Amino acid sequence: MTTRPGFDAVDPWSAIEQCYERGWTDGLPVVPPTEALVDAMLGAGPWKADHVLLHEPVRGRAVTAEKAAINAVMAGCRPEYFPVVGAALEAIGDPEFMLHGPATSTGGSALMVIVNGPIAARLGLNAKTNLFGPGVRANATIGRVLRLVLLNCLDCRPGVLDKSTQGWAGKYSLCFAEDETASPWEPLHVWRGLPTGSSAVTVYAAESGHNVLSHGTSDPERLLTGFADVMASLGSLSPGRSVIVFAPEHAAHLKRAGWGRRRTAEWLYTHAWRSLADLKRGGKVEAAFYDNPSLVDWLYRDRPHGTSIPLTAAMDAERVEPTDESVRVHRGLGPDDILLAVGGGEAGGHSAFFPSWSRGRSVPFVTKEVSS
Amino acid sequence: MIRILDPTLGGGSGSTAAMPRAPRPTALSGVTVGLLANGKSNGMALLDRIWLRLRERHGVADVVRVAKTNASAPVSDEDAELLAKRCGIVVTAIGD
Repeated sequence: MTTRPGFDAVDPWSAIEQCYERGWTDGLPVVPPTEALVDAMLGAGPWKADHVLLHEPVRGRAVTAEKAAINAVMAGCRPEYFPVVGAALEAIGDPEFMLHGPATSTGGSALMVIVNGPIAARLGLNAKTNLFGPGVRANATIGRVLRLVLLNCLDCRPGVLDKSTQGWAGKYSLCFAEDETASPWEPLHVWRGLPTGSSAVTVYAAESGHNVLSHGTSDPERLLTGFADVMASLGSLSPGRSVIVFAPEHAAHLKRAGWGRRRTAEWLYTHAWRSLADLKRGGKVEAAFYDNPSLVDWLYRDRPHGTSIPLTAAMDAERVEPTDESVRVHRGLGPDDILLAVGGGEAGGHSAFFPSWSRGRSVPFVTKEVSS
Repeated sequence: MIRILDPTLGGGSGSTAAMPRAPRPTALSGVTVGLLANGKSNGMALLDRIWLRLRERHGVADVVRVAKTNASAPVSDEDAELLAKRCGIVVTAIGD
């Protein structure tokens, strides 16, 4: 019988320590991936051991279902989580997602996984109180697998290929379910085009979330004013995407007022802007932007119809022109860049805005159905 | 004893360990230099300086400039072929 690559340990405690010594952890202890545990994990998904779940094209790395199962055991997953783990790996491996950037960049993003559909409740995924925080095995361990795969299979180790300037705690794990029962809208994955009753993951490269607290109004426009203000903060403003997770209390205000996803996203896009003058005063406009047509288009996207972008010769990254006061620079390129979900405890006016990774466009949202 | 399985790609299938290194050039005089920038701000500016230095010190000849359209994406097959066909050496850099 062929011995599978690995090592022999005398007991689980020495196995855990040897995993540390070999650099196979995210800093937390791992469950030692024994052959029996790995085979049980693999057996819970529809994939053969050598099926490639994730291909990273920049460096030509292929992560098989077997390697994913090993990392899933280490993360602490139960076997029934594995179909969700596999779908999440397929999603971050989608060529459109361009994983190399969010996996390695100074931006230090976390890989957010939003789970929808009946599988979320079956696995006990938390969509309610403290959904971004600790306490629930499925949330903690499914998200953790992605990080372990990046560390162990793609060598995205801090200081080696992971060059995050600061990183953030969501990089350990950032997986949660949408609270479909508290949502005024169709489930996120259905909005994204999948059939009702299916289960799916939606992935996103997220910077750390901003709490958007609001307890003083039930009026949709007043409520959303706080969200738009956070989205337009100079520290975050970019042509990139946004994820908003509305707390049930805030979602209920939108529901009572009859605001749909589209109207809400359009309102947020329209109101999340800063003047070009503000951007220049805050050092957000770089000289090199003017060599990049897509960034120039972002800066002047809101110009009156039929007017042309100022001549290159007149542009200056730091000099504030009087006309710059009236040029509105929005977060993102349109309402489709704003993904809306619902989750959190019943009590509290605390929602969250997650800016995209990168000062550019970042990577798109990718939704994948979970294979049963 | 408990058998513990290796979670890494470990130099086996799927890893890049099998990729051979290109032969090293023995001289740079008259060689065409490829510059492959990641497409972010200042990447090509950095590479252009390197090309000028190589020209001053080692007498390299022409230059072929390629900038990726997205820093997160792999270089396109067309660009890789262009660099392979026209250049004796390729210098790549991350600018930002």
